[in-house]
Amino acid sequence: MAARRLAVCRWSSLLVVVAPLAGCARQPPRHGPSHVDDWGRTVTLAASARHIVSLSPSTTEIVFALGLGSRLAGRTRWCDYPAAARVVADVGDGISPNVEAIAARRPDLVLLYASPANRPAAQRLEALGIATAALALDRAEDVRRAARLIGALAGAERVADSLVAAFDSARAAAAREAVPPTGRRPRLYVHVWTDPPVTVGRGSYLAEILHDAGADNLFDDVTTSSATISLESLARRDPDAIVVLTSDTLGSPPPLADRPPWRAVRAVREARYLLLDGSLYGRPSPRMPLAVRDLVARLRRLAVR
Amino acid sequence: MRQVPGRRFALALAALLVVAVAAGVLAGPSFLRPAEVLGALAGRGDPSATAIVWSLRLPRVALGLLVGGVLAVSGASLQVLVRNPLADPYLLGLSGGAGLGAVLAITAGVASPWAVPAAAFGGALLAMVAVYRLAAVAGGALDGRVLVLAGVVVGAFAGALVSGLLAVTDAQGARSAMLWLMGGLGGAGWGTVAALTVYAAPALAVLVAEARSLNLLALGEEPAQHLGTDVARTKQRVFIAASLLTAAAVASAGIIGFVGLVVPHAIRILRGHDHRALLPAAFVAGGALLVLADAGARTVFAPVELPVGVITAIIGVPVFAFLLRRWTARSSS
Repeated sequence: MAARRLAVCRWSSLLVVVAPLAGCARQPPRHGPSHVDDWGRTVTLAASARHIVSLSPSTTEIVFALGLGSRLAGRTRWCDYPAAARVVADVGDGISPNVEAIAARRPDLVLLYASPANRPAAQRLEALGIATAALALDRAEDVRRAARLIGALAGAERVADSLVAAFDSARAAAAREAVPPTGRRPRLYVHVWTDPPVTVGRGSYLAEILHDAGADNLFDDVTTSSATISLESLARRDPDAIVVLTSDTLGSPPPLADRPPWRAVRAVREARYLLLDGSLYGRPSPRMPLAVRDLVARLRRLAVR
Repeated sequence: MRQVPGRRFALALAALLVVAVAAGVLAGPSFLRPAEVLGALAGRGDPSATAIVWSLRLPRVALGLLVGGVLAVSGASLQVLVRNPLADPYLLGLSGGAGLGAVLAITAGVASPWAVPAAAFGGALLAMVAVYRLAAVAGGALDGRVLVLAGVVVGAFAGALVSGLLAVTDAQGARSAMLWLMGGLGGAGWGTVAALTVYAAPALAVLVAEARSLNLLALGEEPAQHLGTDVARTKQRVFIAASLLTAAAVASAGIIGFVGLVVPHAIRILRGHDHRALLPAAFVAGGALLVLADAGARTVFAPVELPVGVITAIIGVPVFAFLLRRWTARSSS
């Protein structure tokens, strides 16, 4: 049975790819919902989207949060939340995606991350008669806009409105809880990479979570979302703790103290690490208030220690 | 062009070295006052300043001197070996091999601090062996043109494998591999400095010992042979010593462009083609240039650190253009 379904998929993908060459491209009259995406393009559908391929873990989370998980026809290999996302067909990468694998899922809407690298794929999908919407999901604010756009394209505007309202109130509530216990805002270094040392800058999603949780991002003066910084500035700024995103929060922190230059940093010498769940903290999603609460609790424990 | 007299040239080099070391120790993103730096050097004063000077700035300066010097000497020797002014230390496939090693180690996710440098070193050695075998099979006695072609082929092969690996690994790993390859002295500790010193000394000694043969080789292989040089042996030694030096430089600081290409030419313009003077001078000038560039790389956009290769080119290109102009003007008049 599975084999037969696979065979059908293969054939249908072949048909979809061949069809435009045969001069009979499937271009349905579009008079359904029409909205502007984050590339400033107008996305028009014949009807509310019923078969959606989501090409970023963030949009996959939003689709499920909108209660539209059953309409998901494809996802990337990085989409691991919620657990139900794992049973959706995997179409590979989300940046420079595999157009043929996506077309094989016969979607009526493809949600792409708004990266320049995805423009060619979007054009090819449109040429196959598949509508695409590009979403720049980089910050907390983008979650609200993406939820509204996806909701509108799927005919779930009301659900989207209540999701956004719930997101806003949960965020405000989480931030209210985040009064730092010691009275001083903890200063956290976000460790992205060791050699060379890479961290996040102002306005990155992670920096927003840190801020909501009552902490400061150590390199908030860096204006790009991430940057290579010098160990000397890190040592001089002397963070209270080092934040590491990981898939295993109970595992061991990166062995920074094995590298002599890193031992100039007090938090490294004293092994003050905060191991945070990469899936929860690493991508803009409706779960942001959860991340903030989680961080507030961890910061309390750090202060008590 | 009239060459700068030996004594004045040596003094100028010494002055350049002093300026570079002073800039390397005094400049940094955290604005230590000179008095604080001197206090830290003497082991007195604020522990945080002492940590910054002793475990961050000084190892960077030491590694910069070594890596810059090694690259310049290796470049100068290879330019003679392949008889091509465009030769730089990475020409013979070494950057490709080192890159492949580094990317393999990063994608394999080995956490040890020595994993990436060791893998880069291994990759560069593998590339060196491949180039040597190819050139030996095709060109008999290490023909310069065949060496260059073998280097390009091996480099392209390694580059293709790197592109393939980067395409199938996650974005962060790929980005980090690229960042590491762009080169920098930031990961330097005293261990790296010690390892490179012990390792580079014999290879440098071999090249300096071959300096006279390099002079003759620069005249052409036949004249060199007639004047009593064992050309095949010299070429073999120079190839192996220069490649080992480059591999070690890449392992300790990534791929830093420009120093190995331009410093040897600048010294030739200023001081002439005698490799007995050229190689030591290139070592000092290459080291000083890299230390100066590194001081700039970590200061200009502090706390953000620039890839040091950007600064070596920004300092090096105008200086080189000036020298080249003076040289062509003098030689035509």
